[in-house]
Amino acid sequence: MGAMEGFMQGLEVAFSFQGILFVLIGVIAGTLIGMMPGLGPISAIAIMIPITYGMNPSTALMMMAGVYYGAVFGGSTSSILLNAPGISGTVATSFDGYPMAQRGEAGKALAIAAISSFVGGTVSVVLLMLFAPALAQVAVSFGPAQYFALMFLGLTAIASLSDGSTVKALIAATVGFMMATIGIDGQTGTTRFTFGNPNLMEGIDFLVIALGLFALAEICFLIKNRKDDSLSKQGDIGSLKLGKSDFKEMRGPMSRQSFLGFILGVLPGAGATIASFIGYISEKRIAKRPEEFGKGSVKGLSAPETANNAATSGAFVPLLSLGIPGSGTTAVMLGAFLVLGIQPGPLLVQDHPDVFWGIIASMYIGNVFLLILNLPLIPYIAKILKISRPLLISLVAIFSLIGVYAISFSTFDLYVLLAFGVLGYLMRLFSVPAPPFILAFILGGMMEQSLRQTLTASGGNMLALISDPVSIGLYIVSLISFLVPLIRTRNKNDQSESEQKAS
Amino acid sequence: MLKTLNQKLSLFLILFASGYLYLTYNLKEYPYVPVDSDFVPKVLGYVLIVLAVFLYFDKSSETKEEKEKRTIPKKEILVLLAVGAMIFLYIFLLELLGFVLSSMLFVFGCSLFLGYRNHKVNVIVSVIFPLVMYLSFNYLLQIKLPQGILPF
Repeated sequence: MGAMEGFMQGLEVAFSFQGILFVLIGVIAGTLIGMMPGLGPISAIAIMIPITYGMNPSTALMMMAGVYYGAVFGGSTSSILLNAPGISGTVATSFDGYPMAQRGEAGKALAIAAISSFVGGTVSVVLLMLFAPALAQVAVSFGPAQYFALMFLGLTAIASLSDGSTVKALIAATVGFMMATIGIDGQTGTTRFTFGNPNLMEGIDFLVIALGLFALAEICFLIKNRKDDSLSKQGDIGSLKLGKSDFKEMRGPMSRQSFLGFILGVLPGAGATIASFIGYISEKRIAKRPEEFGKGSVKGLSAPETANNAATSGAFVPLLSLGIPGSGTTAVMLGAFLVLGIQPGPLLVQDHPDVFWGIIASMYIGNVFLLILNLPLIPYIAKILKISRPLLISLVAIFSLIGVYAISFSTFDLYVLLAFGVLGYLMRLFSVPAPPFILAFILGGMMEQSLRQTLTASGGNMLALISDPVSIGLYIVSLISFLVPLIRTRNKNDQSESEQKAS
Repeated sequence: MLKTLNQKLSLFLILFASGYLYLTYNLKEYPYVPVDSDFVPKVLGYVLIVLAVFLYFDKSSETKEEKEKRTIPKKEILVLLAVGAMIFLYIFLLELLGFVLSSMLFVFGCSLFLGYRNHKVNVIVSVIFPLVMYLSFNYLLQIKLPQGILPF
């Protein structure tokens, strides 16, 4: 089937009554959850997964995609209004968005964010449509050795590119991988690390870990900050109108960052956070008046907002065409696919064209919804932020618990969920990043399988892993990704040294 | 010897990895494959030990922000533990009382405990939310949540 034909089929699925309805639900739910301080796309997707049980896979996944980019957008709303980014991908948004809101131009800031997100999202969906099938065609010929190399790259990239200590990120990834080894080994039937507990035979379900490490752990932070009532003080947001000069300012960043953000989103490990920071920095560097950045510059707000939404669609390229998530969020997204019995990867276009093209087509609708929803409704949506924290905490807790119960019908998994909630909270306290953990957990099983397939075929010869140019290239890129944090720390040291000298 | 937080974490991780490796070496052997089920876990165990050693010698000190995040007043620790205990109790009661009743108790009790003082809204939310969830899961999604002692 040609791409055009496939896309038409996707449009048909997306424009059905069900399609439109569930994309709308997804976008709204994502925006609302993403707006809550602390709850980002990972929690949003994990919380929404139970709702998809029993749904038609293509509709369900269109909704989940809506949740994803809705949550990214919702995060920017709280960045602008409260200077409290829900997720790291919208931290750069607060640099110029919040000063603008403080000047009484919150409405304008929200409008700029909505339009930039729309442009970034829409342009990158076009790119996604062009690149994903092409990449899938290349990947069809990949064997287990190449897949192993690819997943290895995904893991090392997220560990070395995540903020904070690389060693801690790698530790998180290793422990996440260890969790994936619990249960019956698929190849030999050996039970591993179950301590004789029949509940652990099939391993730990990914939703238990995703909801524990993210949603429940975030609750702990909400509990600590429950008395923060900055939300209820939020007053009028002012006019949403933009002038001609504003559009002129936005044009440059929007056109550049749509492409740059997309490319960074495709790369494993990079994603929305890095895209938004690079977008911000690069626009500041080429701006005629860089001194305005940080004080409520239109360019400074438009750049990260365009970039983070473009990166969101970019992240779907490796997920849809290789079946390999490059970030914590897409890892949970992969989990959502698997729950519905869909294995994303190079064969997805052939086997489930309705899902593949449906998701892509639905993103066009979703982005329009986001724009329509956000421009006129934002003042009302912002009011929902005033929901009392104690009530919110209890409701999120119930949502997480029931999400897990609905897949396993066993209270054992709920106790495990609670344990992972505690672990997630401790990890945050000790500044150990959680996304590498969930990514490694989800990739772990797949990685072990492809590693052992490769080694079984070669009779245990380790050289089989590096016997072809594709794998060798991927390992080299993984090694290079380790140099990034080294350069970063050196830069930081140089900076602090020069600062010391200056003072 | 264990001055910094990193060193304490490192020691804990080494102990964890050793326990994991101990279990790995006791896995049942399966003779007919070139790579047995203990191969990957062994690699992981040793990798974790190496990483923990790196962490031990990691000199980067905590940023102010990180330290601030880690200091929790004693009273808050008690609050966190209490909420944890409530969730524990909720799980325990879930299959005994059923989803609706235990959720009502949890939402009302937990919100009240955390300082929510609008009792009217609290009662309304804690009655309606579990009922709506229960009915939509049971009848719309066909996922049977625990019925407990209620007749529906």
